[in-house]
Amino acid sequence: MKDREIDEILTRAAEAPHAVDPALLDRIAGTIGPSLRPVRPRPAARVLVGGLMLISVSVALAGAARAGFYGIHKLSAGERALIFPALGIFIWLAAMVCVSEFIPGSRRRVAPGFLLGAGSLALVAVFAVLFHDYRTDHFVSQGVVCLVAGLLHAIPTAFVSWLLLRRGFAVNSAAAGLVVGTLAALAGVTMLELHCANLQAWHVIVWHTAVIPVSAVAGGLLGLRFQTGSRDKDLPTG
Amino acid sequence: MYPDSDLEMLMARYQQGDLSAATGLIHRLSPQLHRFFVIRIASREDANDLLQETWLRIHKVRNTYRAGEPVLPWFYAIARHVRVDHYRKTRRTSGREERLDDMPEMAAIPAVSVKPPDLEALLAPLPESQREVVEMLKIAGMSLEEVARATSSSVGSVKQKAHRAYEKLRERLSGAGSQARTGRFS
Repeated sequence: MKDREIDEILTRAAEAPHAVDPALLDRIAGTIGPSLRPVRPRPAARVLVGGLMLISVSVALAGAARAGFYGIHKLSAGERALIFPALGIFIWLAAMVCVSEFIPGSRRRVAPGFLLGAGSLALVAVFAVLFHDYRTDHFVSQGVVCLVAGLLHAIPTAFVSWLLLRRGFAVNSAAAGLVVGTLAALAGVTMLELHCANLQAWHVIVWHTAVIPVSAVAGGLLGLRFQTGSRDKDLPTG
Repeated sequence: MYPDSDLEMLMARYQQGDLSAATGLIHRLSPQLHRFFVIRIASREDANDLLQETWLRIHKVRNTYRAGEPVLPWFYAIARHVRVDHYRKTRRTSGREERLDDMPEMAAIPAVSVKPPDLEALLAPLPESQREVVEMLKIAGMSLEEVARATSSSVGSVKQKAHRAYEKLRERLSGAGSQARTGRFS
């Protein structure tokens, strides 16, 4: 049997009329009618992407301004030219994916999970290429401080991003949470690169990059919780 | 099936608060959305509930549709969300019970006849992800790109699912055809 023949069978089957009770349709129209008011469509995607990028960069800059720009002063021009454009590209990508996750039926250019993996690996690669001081002085104590600082900057980024996107609708809350977490983490990492003067390779590779999966997973879990929570609310009680 | 521009126009008027546009959309799209639910849920009552739930959800988030974007993927993405939600809820409330007619191996194989085959029975043996792709391509008449948008996946992945679905259908239909010829279906 050829594809064309299967196609014909499916088309014939799909053409068979499928009636829906007209009373049901009237009931639906009747339910919607009273609350029908003009709505303001969401701003264009590029406006939202720009807004998310602005939020991320502002939080990173504000955090570094408060804590001190020690990291960027210690970086060479070449290191700055590689690290910050790489972070900028990933922030832009994450912002784009964020916006599309909050609009049903939008084109998904990059899957949230892929963005998380690719973003983390790309930063690890950039750091591994640039930093060659393999000492591990105060590895855990300094590392935890950086991880916490990165996450503390990810939280406000995620919150303000959510405020910007809240008029949207995520058909997959877990994926949306994951990508918002990734975007927020990138703001945290940017702050660390501006602020942290510890350029030991393992410190930067492990602790700075760790902000991304930790924040993304936290976002994904929150999204999943929200999804389950909204389902629980729908369930009849008693 | 309706031209996309027609639906886009109705959607724009619906966003402006036009009740006749909302009613028009409900009457035009409900049969195919209802069928989308019936194929998976297999109960008209549940499909009715899901259809209502979908329209309420659509109404709530109608601001998220952007003019100029394809309409059907937007509707189907929401319908799919409602269906997945219903599936998870049912799975949690009914435990691990499995309906016999939901099991692919037990599903009836449609006999080859002059009468158009029943789409629901035809697609029953397919896994969920393949079935929804075929439904969207064949019932809604969506393009590969539109199905990819509605299912939050890539065009390549949609093509692959459609290809696998066709392979399974070919196997089933050929099997049913030869069984019918040897008189096993009378």
